[in-house]
Amino acid sequence: MRGSEPSRPSLITDRVALPPGLPGVWTTALATVLVLVMLGMLLWIVVVNAFAWFWPAAVCRVVETDGAEHVGIVVGHEEAPARAGGGRELRLQLKVGNRDLDGRDFLWLDERDIAAIDRPQSLVRVVRAEYGDAFGEIVGAVGPDGSPIAADDEALGRLLADGARWRAERRRLEDRLAEARRPLTRLEEELDLRERSVRADTEEGRAAIAALELAAGELASQLGPTLDGIERELARVVEDLVTARLAISAGDRDLEVTMDQVVEVSWPNRMGLPAKIATALRQGVTFLLSEPREANTEGGIAPALFGTVLLVLLMSVAVVPLGVVTAVYMTEYARPGLLLRLANQAVNNLAGVPSIVFGMFGLAFFIYGVGGAVDRTFFSDRLPTPTFGTGGLLWAALTLALLTVPVVVVATREGLLAVPRSWRDGSLALGATQWQTLRRIVLPAAMPGILTGLILAVSRAAGEVAPLMLTGAVKLAPSLPVDATFPFLHLQRKFMHLGFHIYDVSMQSPNVEAAKPMAFATTLALLLLVVLMNLAAIVIRRRLRRAYRGQTV
Amino acid sequence: MIPNGPALASHDLDLYYGEVQALKKITLEVPQGRITALIGPSGCGKSTFLRCFNRMNDMIEGVRVEGRVLVEGEDVHHPDLDLERLRKRVGMVFQRSNPFPMSIRENVSYGPRMAGVRGRDRLDEIVERSLKQADLWVEVKDRLDSSALDLSGGQQQRLCIARALANEPDILLLDEPASALDPISTAKIEETLLQLKDQYSILIVTHNLQQAARVSDWTAFFMLGELVEFSDTTTMFTNPSEKITEEYITGRFG
Ligand SMILES: Nc1ncnc2c1ncn2[C@@H]1O[C@H](COP(=O)(O)OP(=O)(O)O)[C@@H](O)[C@H]1O
Ligand SMILES: [Mg+2]
Repeated sequence: MRGSEPSRPSLITDRVALPPGLPGVWTTALATVLVLVMLGMLLWIVVVNAFAWFWPAAVCRVVETDGAEHVGIVVGHEEAPARAGGGRELRLQLKVGNRDLDGRDFLWLDERDIAAIDRPQSLVRVVRAEYGDAFGEIVGAVGPDGSPIAADDEALGRLLADGARWRAERRRLEDRLAEARRPLTRLEEELDLRERSVRADTEEGRAAIAALELAAGELASQLGPTLDGIERELARVVEDLVTARLAISAGDRDLEVTMDQVVEVSWPNRMGLPAKIATALRQGVTFLLSEPREANTEGGIAPALFGTVLLVLLMSVAVVPLGVVTAVYMTEYARPGLLLRLANQAVNNLAGVPSIVFGMFGLAFFIYGVGGAVDRTFFSDRLPTPTFGTGGLLWAALTLALLTVPVVVVATREGLLAVPRSWRDGSLALGATQWQTLRRIVLPAAMPGILTGLILAVSRAAGEVAPLMLTGAVKLAPSLPVDATFPFLHLQRKFMHLGFHIYDVSMQSPNVEAAKPMAFATTLALLLLVVLMNLAAIVIRRRLRRAYRGQTV
Repeated sequence: MIPNGPALASHDLDLYYGEVQALKKITLEVPQGRITALIGPSGCGKSTFLRCFNRMNDMIEGVRVEGRVLVEGEDVHHPDLDLERLRKRVGMVFQRSNPFPMSIRENVSYGPRMAGVRGRDRLDEIVERSLKQADLWVEVKDRLDSSALDLSGGQQQRLCIARALANEPDILLLDEPASALDPISTAKIEETLLQLKDQYSILIVTHNLQQAARVSDWTAFFMLGELVEFSDTTTMFTNPSEKITEEYITGRFG
């Protein structure tokens, strides 16, 4: 045999060439690295940009060669457009705030025009309720009685503390006023609906309106003294707030900030690192917990955060039963065959439908169809003002549930199929019915699969924006979907949403440039929320798995 | 129950998996209060035959049965049969132990609970009695609420026996209950079976001829879906009437 094939090459070669597989290995490794780098960059960009929103940056004073003086925060450098002289030139972007003075937040200054930059300790950043931040030096102050106050630290500190107290008092009084007025407000809303409804001109409609007007008048006179009392108190506080003020000098310009406009005053240049970190953390928390201001470009994201969480919760409540029941039927009861294969295909394809299509479906079916019918049946006296026949939390949640039901079905089916046959057989052989076997053995064992489905559904739903724009997410919701009035959870209300908020802040706000860090901060919040929800579900699933250890589920 | 009648019986039993016939005209009577062993080479239909008596073949797609199967004189294919009651009466232990992912206590009380037995005391009583019968009580009485999946293989199989006994069956079907166990665990199971035989009619499939010889009173030899020979164990192992039986038990094939 050996002799018949004399020309067989030797097994031992002199390895000069590259091992044949190597270029392939390199390419795949490179691709992997590329993907990881992109992911890292994504996170980095979001975090860095969001960070700028919270970090108390130093406030600079910039003097130009022609003597002009500006105060603000340096937010960027870039190469200046080439000038006649030629050569590389840098220019820097200064956030000067003080939008009420000349309507712009930012200045571009060519580096060659700058004579000096320094950071005096006395410069302040004043977060205001309107017109964004003010930067400058506090050069004077006026007390609540209209008399000037020395601008030294001690007197200023007292004034600022007083201001904070007055603002808290004002908020408390406003709440009390709204609370006291609520019965009347509700009557007026009802009256307004009736007057606009299609039945306003009928006999009974007019009677109802007259009765309501009477009741409202009675209630108004009854509540009058209380309301007047609160309003007087409120007026006193507001009087103090608008009288007391800070005089600020910002380079060439001067401005005044009344205490009712002040949200926070800080001296970033005096802060050490610990103080800066503490401030950043505090601002982060405030951001999460406070209401947006100034068309969403300032303030916090509390209602959007709340709306997102609530929406996802409602979606979960709807999608889990729907998906699990479907999967159970398809796996445990349906006979294998053409129909089951078709159903399977349909579910898989549903997962590939663009989400905006689901939005249109939600609009057509839930809002116009179901919502319209609900309105005609239960809220006909309010028509044409829609109650459920318009976008709202319920319809958005159901639309998202429909969008995510395929992943729940698929994951649950996998979970069910992974339940060992021997457990089902064991249960049936002990005289348990098929239903009991499903309830007591199969479903608990498929729980990790179901949770996996829920995790996927939640991650997808929390980041989905397109269908929400059609089904009830709004820029600014007048009230949260949960409040103290019966029935506490108002499923028909419009809501705010982090994803929509990001779009709104970065594309639709009056001052896109100034709102950019805010958009990134919101993005970071959304990311963290999704990660947090995933982690929670993964922890639960890990626990369940441990209960079934040793088995392949 | 018919006094002294057979615990289980099959008459001209044919069973098909689709087109393939797995059991051919089996007529066999399993006596009460005895241990009956089913032996035969792999794939000869022992497990299939066993599953006929608690109708576990129902779950398999495409199975068709002809002939009569009687449990204590009653036809298991009667249209008005109460399937759950049948399976409580005819307990089954599988080849691979299959404890549920629950505590030991919950495993044992599973059958009674599904049948509607309520009350902690009542269930505890059942758990204790069953575990004692299965010779497991001493080993697990201090950890009834820990997971059954933590038990050793032999203990798990005895737990499955206890779980079947908790239903107070008349008949026990065991499908190679010791085939996956080490010799010591096997010996313990055999011991348990011998203790149980006074109260239960036992039909056990075994691969292990010595085991059949040690524990059973009667032995049936299956081959290619047919019942070749059925006689008392001593006769079967010392003086079989068929030549092929002799060849099998002396280890010349299979
Ligand atoms: N679920 C099934 N579907 C189709 N054929 C089966 C099935 N189970 C067993 N069989 C066939 O029936 C015959 C008997 O099987 P089985 O009763 O498991 O034999 P044993 O238990 O004696 O090893 C074998 O030929 C096997 O291939
Ligand atoms: Mg078998």
